[in-house]
Amino acid sequence: MAREGGPAVTCDALVKRFGDVEALAGVSLEIPSGVTFGLLGPNGAGKTTLLRIWLGLTAPNSGTAKVLGFDIPPRAVLPRIGYMPQDLAVYQDLTVGENLALFGRLVGMDEDAIERRTEEVLKLVDIAARRDSLVSTLSGGMRRRTSLATALLHDPDLLLLDEPTVGVDPELRAAFWSYFRELTKRGKTVLITTHYMEEASQCDLAALLHRGTLLVRDTPAAIKERAGAQNLDEAFLAFVREASA
Amino acid sequence: MVSRVLAVARKTLSQFRHDRRTLGFVVLMPLLMVVVFGYTFGGEVHNVRTLVVNDDAGFMGLRASDRILENLTGDTLALETWTRGEVAARAEVAAGRAWAVLGFAANFTENLATGNATAVVDVVLDGSSPTIVSAVLGKLRAAAERMFAAGSAAPFALEREFVYGSEDTRFIDSFAPGVVALAVLMVTTIFSVIMVVREKAGGMLERLFATPLRPVELVLGLALALAVVAFLQSVVVLGAALLLFQVKVAGNLGLAFAILLLFGIGNQGLGIMLSAAAKNELQAIQFVPLILFPSLLLTGVFFPLEAIPSGLRPLSYVVPLTYASDALHSVMLRGWGIVEVGLDVLILIVYDTLTLLGAAVFVRRQA
Repeated sequence: MAREGGPAVTCDALVKRFGDVEALAGVSLEIPSGVTFGLLGPNGAGKTTLLRIWLGLTAPNSGTAKVLGFDIPPRAVLPRIGYMPQDLAVYQDLTVGENLALFGRLVGMDEDAIERRTEEVLKLVDIAARRDSLVSTLSGGMRRRTSLATALLHDPDLLLLDEPTVGVDPELRAAFWSYFRELTKRGKTVLITTHYMEEASQCDLAALLHRGTLLVRDTPAAIKERAGAQNLDEAFLAFVREASA
Repeated sequence: MVSRVLAVARKTLSQFRHDRRTLGFVVLMPLLMVVVFGYTFGGEVHNVRTLVVNDDAGFMGLRASDRILENLTGDTLALETWTRGEVAARAEVAAGRAWAVLGFAANFTENLATGNATAVVDVVLDGSSPTIVSAVLGKLRAAAERMFAAGSAAPFALEREFVYGSEDTRFIDSFAPGVVALAVLMVTTIFSVIMVVREKAGGMLERLFATPLRPVELVLGLALALAVVAFLQSVVVLGAALLLFQVKVAGNLGLAFAILLLFGIGNQGLGIMLSAAAKNELQAIQFVPLILFPSLLLTGVFFPLEAIPSGLRPLSYVVPLTYASDALHSVMLRGWGIVEVGLDVLILIVYDTLTLLGAAVFVRRQA
């Protein structure tokens, strides 16, 4: 849990440059605890960079950020964060179970807890039958589910999921979303990046990021209403037009 | 800290277990090296430090010992006149600072000229290197042949004394320690390069560092797992040397393993540092000759360091295999203990520390 009543994640005037490219051009954002938050934007908008800064994987050029009440890099709270990167960050030459056990041990879980949670989490992502299969023998969707399972294993307070639903079939995607909502009911915070705008309608809150700049942050319904749009795709385009005007 | 290091080591060993082909490579490649080198290799030596204790009083104004020394031509032996007595000269050999002592007694020329008694050259040898033993003895025999044409008076006798080893010490005995170390070097270095490149490629490093795992813990975990592999290899390679070629081990086998392990760990650190410069496994493999050639040619694996041209010698002292090879050679052939190889072991520990620290820095940068 974050500090009593405090936001789960914040950042203030974050700037991050890669050479001449400004990936983040002064982003300020606050994400309250216990919500599903959609960070939306096309590829290259700066979503992943923002996640990496919150995780302490890269340092901003300027600006400040806090995660679960701690300044970045948030070493002290890393065991309370579940991260699923965009890359398939699971070992192909380990079994599903071995991958989970590794990440469980790295966040300090004991063997009993790892065993128990592995069962639960693999059922949830629907690959319990493949627990002893090498990841290299799984389909792309199954690999993503394994990756999600490693992020969920230690029941983190904050989930940072970078494009978790890419390559996941609609049925399973629906299952994921209902699970995310269940987590937020238990007070967890789920931050999801996606470039599928419509998917984010299911979030409590959403923010639109475009070329390193935050265009809007509100509930999905309010964003559509403010843009006078039918869906988030149209709303996004409207905000981009407005920003470049 | 410890649990995270163990977690990394455990997963790395699991990766090996699932990869049969790699496992085969781990065992077969060093085995092949030992067998190939064991059957094919031989070499020439140069500049063997040889101390001359010449007490020859001469006879009728002549000193035959001087004639013999003049006839020891070529650069095989680096002769050095020794005036501090035979006991001190013998100690130089025992300490590994000289390879041989040639001793001429006061009555050498007299005995040779009169034939009252056999003229004897006392040859004290470090028999741990048969290459050198045969080079020293061969040179003395050649000198004798040149001085005494066929049919003339009986030449002098060579009274041989071995500080280490014996006349039976074979080439394979002498370079087995070096080849064992070389095999461990090759495989540990290449492996760690490939491991880290693999982690980089799949986005794994980033994923790992989003957990409380520290770079130094990752490096130690990898090193621990690879040390297990290095140990297995040492068993295979030493086992092959012992069983197939009946290589002798004069000293403590446990100490020999410990030296190999220390060396292997440093190589992993080196491999991880090199991986910083490689984008994929193919590029990583290109480091092989970079490591192989200096190690093969400059380190006294096949020749004593004395055989390496003096201009290149400073480079030899930079290549870590020099120390691993020297320590193993001394333990296996001279029967030296931890005290005598202490300096080599210390240097290997420094090597381990520096490369592992360097590796942790590089790994952090690559995340």
